[in-house]
Amino acid sequence: MGGMPGFGRVVEPGVDAAYHERWEPRVFALWAITSAEGLTAGSGRQLREKMPPEEYLRASYYERWQWSNERRLLAKRTIVEGEVDGWVERLRAGAPAPEHVDAAQAERVLAVVRTATEELGPAGATTFVPGDRVSVRQLKPVGHTRCPRYVRGANGVVTAVRGTYPLPDEGLRRGEIEPVYAVSFDSVDLFGATDEPTWTVLLDLQESYLEAA
Amino acid sequence: MTHDHDHDHDHDEHHHHHHPQEKSATELRVEALEALLAEKGLVSGEAIDAVVSYYENDVGPQNGARVVARAWADPTYKERLLADGTAAVKEFGFTGFELNTLVAVENTPKVHNVVVCTLCSCYPWPVLGLPPTWYKSAPYRARVVSEPRAVLREFGLELPAEVDLRVWDSTAEVRYLVVPERPDGTNGWSEEELARLVPRDAMIGTARALEPSV
Repeated sequence: MGGMPGFGRVVEPGVDAAYHERWEPRVFALWAITSAEGLTAGSGRQLREKMPPEEYLRASYYERWQWSNERRLLAKRTIVEGEVDGWVERLRAGAPAPEHVDAAQAERVLAVVRTATEELGPAGATTFVPGDRVSVRQLKPVGHTRCPRYVRGANGVVTAVRGTYPLPDEGLRRGEIEPVYAVSFDSVDLFGATDEPTWTVLLDLQESYLEAA
Repeated sequence: MTHDHDHDHDHDEHHHHHHPQEKSATELRVEALEALLAEKGLVSGEAIDAVVSYYENDVGPQNGARVVARAWADPTYKERLLADGTAAVKEFGFTGFELNTLVAVENTPKVHNVVVCTLCSCYPWPVLGLPPTWYKSAPYRARVVSEPRAVLREFGLELPAEVDLRVWDSTAEVRYLVVPERPDGTNGWSEEELARLVPRDAMIGTARALEPSV
């Protein structure tokens, strides 16, 4: 969404809280539990990006997470199509919600939540080094990418090698481990001259997104 | 399954739009998924409550504030933090979901850093908790890269034109923590006292640290 025009104010009443409704953190908790317990398949974030764009913009943050929670459970065949709808109808008709007791589950899940991480791998010799001028390739992603539209085609300077990470983009080379670079862009190269004094935008970009400038 | 929770603090803002008698379609759908997973014997209500409570009470900006306070008080710690944020916060035991590779960036009188995730909502949970709604909102994600000073002004932060403003877009598995400038008048303060001057937004870069009250 970087640079997309037409949005209003950031600071509005009520936007300081992480969530507003009691069901929202429960969506989040369901994500954490089903992930930690191996009940899901696929990346929630990549699925959320597959929401029809109009629906994505209309949905609230945790509505998108509910959407991806269901799809990750379906992808793993933990649930099947229609089962959630079935329970919506039963609850609406006043059926009591079932209880499941698993005294060890909370601690088992929290142990994963407290420790699991996705640290970048160590980088050896890399194609680019800090100080190199690079340009971001023009790409037409077929699905998930970590290369935002507003930097495509722009020139920048490598400021650091962050490490290595599997290419997250959908496509043939997905999963290939490659360096990730911090790249610095001058605001004028991204947005032209504006009425603000110039600034710098820095992003971490996979090597596949870059070429020598 | 109960939806009441015991907390040692009440979040008034959570109840703004709460009308128990008329559940929204999404709320009902969330309850339906909970019911389905309970019926299948896969998810306990107790585990849901435990995760919610963990992110409300155990993890939050109070963790990041301790990191910043130590960086202010101990120059060798600050050096370690700026060199390898992941390892430096691990000294406090701050690890887990979404810390990933942590990079700390320092604000000075000449440099101001601010963090965004234009693609989604990347944020260093173990040190800052779950992101505020505005951080995940379309206006922030769209505008802070393309008109950062206007956005910062909405937060009451006016930056002189000569300040080198750096906007970090967390596009990869790198998460950012801003180390704000240490306020004047805090010489000799303990880490615990200093930590009280570090609000969440100062570690995102949309605010400065608090001034000590006289």
